[in-house]
Amino acid sequence: MAAVKPPRPAPDFSLPDTDGKPHKLSDYRGKVVLLNFWATWCPPCRHEMPSMQVLSQELKDKPFQVLACDQQEDGDTVFSFTGLLNPEPTFPILMDSKSSVSKEYGVPGLPTSFLIDKKGNVAYRAVGGRDFEHPAMRALIESLMAA
Amino acid sequence: MKPFILRTLPFLLATSVALAGTIKSTNPANGLSNWQSDDTPFSLQLLQLMPDNVRAVYTNKHFPPALVEEMAGYCMFGSVIRNLADEPISYDVADWRAITADSVRHAPRTKTEWLQIWQSRGVDFGWSILPAAQTLEAGDWGQGFTTIKLPHGTRFDLDYSWRQHGKTFHAILEGLQCAPEQLPVTPNKP
Repeated sequence: MAAVKPPRPAPDFSLPDTDGKPHKLSDYRGKVVLLNFWATWCPPCRHEMPSMQVLSQELKDKPFQVLACDQQEDGDTVFSFTGLLNPEPTFPILMDSKSSVSKEYGVPGLPTSFLIDKKGNVAYRAVGGRDFEHPAMRALIESLMAA
Repeated sequence: MKPFILRTLPFLLATSVALAGTIKSTNPANGLSNWQSDDTPFSLQLLQLMPDNVRAVYTNKHFPPALVEEMAGYCMFGSVIRNLADEPISYDVADWRAITADSVRHAPRTKTEWLQIWQSRGVDFGWSILPAAQTLEAGDWGQGFTTIKLPHGTRFDLDYSWRQHGKTFHAILEGLQCAPEQLPVTPNKP
């Protein structure tokens, strides 16, 4: 991932998850947040999602949170995809039904991911799919959690 | 088509030209081809996209039928871009040109232009087309459709460009062809 220099405040938002429960980004202040923008029709998004789940599970007792913002799809479409995944995602999948949050973040294409530090600043950005199980990715997140 | 040096001469005066090779491969199962730049820091791969694939994608997104047909009439490719350099690379699809055998240079229709058309037809969807312009950091990559208003089956070369450490580079993907209306090879049925 590329460092965002200087880190800039992450735009706050509130989006419902697939159960309709709202999630506000600022409620996760104090945690490192991996904010991922994706859609089920996007092959690299589909490919990277299991690695996000592995990462999320490995860091479940740490100040770390994955938030995956689906773009302009309905709940049935998302469920029919996530139900096929192994492991199935346990992190919140948020419904950015109008792509309003992705526009706020200037997302050029899918997938795009951001690492938001514990103070709520966008610290890193990755355009295109990534392997979130890669040791370098893990080290980057560990460094943000330790900061 | 004109020799490579003649086609690139206008750019030699103002920019650097990367003498990229083109690697072509064809899927034997369906006869569809893809072209990949060889040995350039900004990697570009274009994959033929059948009109029926285009219809399926946008019908599934509830586009109006007339708009679906308009899009299916375009020469469309799945595109994969990668920054293989260790520094930022920028591109702008509006600067790219498809050069047909009659030496006419055709501008692609960019995502920005498509979004304006989609919105004017009441479509609120912002994805699928290759981002029109962006800066890719080292290791970044992306996907999306590249669209050019050319008839199905048209052959052309693509002059594409990018900016890196303050310079503009051009390269040519040679021998591209828009997908035909029908599959070149009928898949074997079991």
